[in-house]
Amino acid sequence: MGTEPAHTVTRYDQELDRLRGIVARMGGLVERQTAQAIAAVVDQNEEAALEPPELDVEVDTLERDAESLAIRILALRAPMAVDLRLIVAVLKITGDLERIGDYASSIARRALKVEPLDGAMSFSALRNMGRLVQENLHKAIDAMACNDSERAMEVWNADTAVDELYTAMFRELVTYMMEDPRKIGPCIHLLFVAKNLERIGDHATNIAERVYYAVTGEMLPAVRPRGGAARKGN
Amino acid sequence: MNGQAMNSTMQAEPLDTNTAQATPLAIQVRNLDFYYGKSRALHGISLDFPERSVTGMIGPSGCGKSTLLRVLNRMYDLYPGQKATGEVLYDGQNILAPGVDLNQLRSRIGMVFQKPTPFPMSIYDNIAFGIRLHERVGRSEMDGRVEDALRRVALWPEVKDRLQASATALSGGQQQRLCIARTIATRPEVILLDEPTSALDPVSTARIEELLDELKTEFTIAIVTHNMQQAARCADQVAFFYLGELVEVDSTARMFTTPRESRTQDYITGRFG
Repeated sequence: MGTEPAHTVTRYDQELDRLRGIVARMGGLVERQTAQAIAAVVDQNEEAALEPPELDVEVDTLERDAESLAIRILALRAPMAVDLRLIVAVLKITGDLERIGDYASSIARRALKVEPLDGAMSFSALRNMGRLVQENLHKAIDAMACNDSERAMEVWNADTAVDELYTAMFRELVTYMMEDPRKIGPCIHLLFVAKNLERIGDHATNIAERVYYAVTGEMLPAVRPRGGAARKGN
Repeated sequence: MNGQAMNSTMQAEPLDTNTAQATPLAIQVRNLDFYYGKSRALHGISLDFPERSVTGMIGPSGCGKSTLLRVLNRMYDLYPGQKATGEVLYDGQNILAPGVDLNQLRSRIGMVFQKPTPFPMSIYDNIAFGIRLHERVGRSEMDGRVEDALRRVALWPEVKDRLQASATALSGGQQQRLCIARTIATRPEVILLDEPTSALDPVSTARIEELLDELKTEFTIAIVTHNMQQAARCADQVAFFYLGELVEVDSTARMFTTPRESRTQDYITGRFG
């Protein structure tokens, strides 16, 4: 992928390049949305909170552009092998990216309703989770840009840590709410933020799976390693 | 990396079906070399043709795919200076060996060409001609055989009222179906098709492709095509040839989604030359 010789039909290459360009641009925007959303929460940064929903408009537009271009290539070029795998991957990856953008926007909108709970572990846990999720997302997008199946595999294996952090936060917040019902409001907001971050992590993993397929032609197993308790904690 | 996860990576479901191993083989080509005079056109080809399935042969012009087809019923024998070495096993016999009855061989391994080649005679006689060549058949049986062959290629409804009309008056697509009918009328086991639809319009092409789908329940089919989509639509396994070599052979789904060889990938994705 990407390292192949040029197509005999130059326009075909140009179309595939344009498609890759759209996805790369989407990846960049979504990374920015996620970073700003996390900053908005953990630094209580009001300005940062405004950005993700604003960027979401462009992300949605790009998703539609990618989809119509992909359909056009499927219809007009009848892509095969590595080209076919790229287009199938792009159709799915743009869906994942769009969802990540939505989650980031949702986190940003909630950011200022979250209150740091005195002495609570959760806020620093959230910071850690945010860092891990950003790292995974960055790697997934990088793997996509560089057609790097090994890096994709790293992302695929790394999501367990995010799941575990989420499970720990969930337990802690439940305890807080039981101890002091006045904290239920801020705790619920915090929990939603954590849940959205965890979902972003899942979509980063999905992206890694698509990249792995596009590059190698092999599908990763349907069940990936995950923090076992995370699911039960839902 | 998680070793177990790696071991359990899997192919998309339909890619695993390897027809070559699942069904008995109609023809086995072993270490086949072919020469046009001194020029070597095929290099050590080994390829299996599973029974009752369609093998597609693709590759750029001059890659040897049509040459291989012509070896399979020894069509090349008609031309001096052409020589094949190696083995082509059919029905337990090496058909390249001297002493093979070529008439009988060609009645069992029939061939259809790129351009429809109806004989300049009636529709009826086009079919009957081939049968008479190999068998003595009475009038009423012959009528039945002709009708049966025409029905199988779905030409019967179109020609049943003008069987005595000249075959050359038929459209290109009808002519090609007539040629296929003529081939199957002698009850062969294998049908070789050399770009059978390249001179036909899309509707006639679709009819022939539909026909192949039906015929493969009874015959072993080998088809040479320049049309990649056609190979993708019709074939169960696909062989890619390049410069007289067999580069890769695999199930059709696998060839067009995850070919192993970069030369195959370059060719089928349109990155060649």
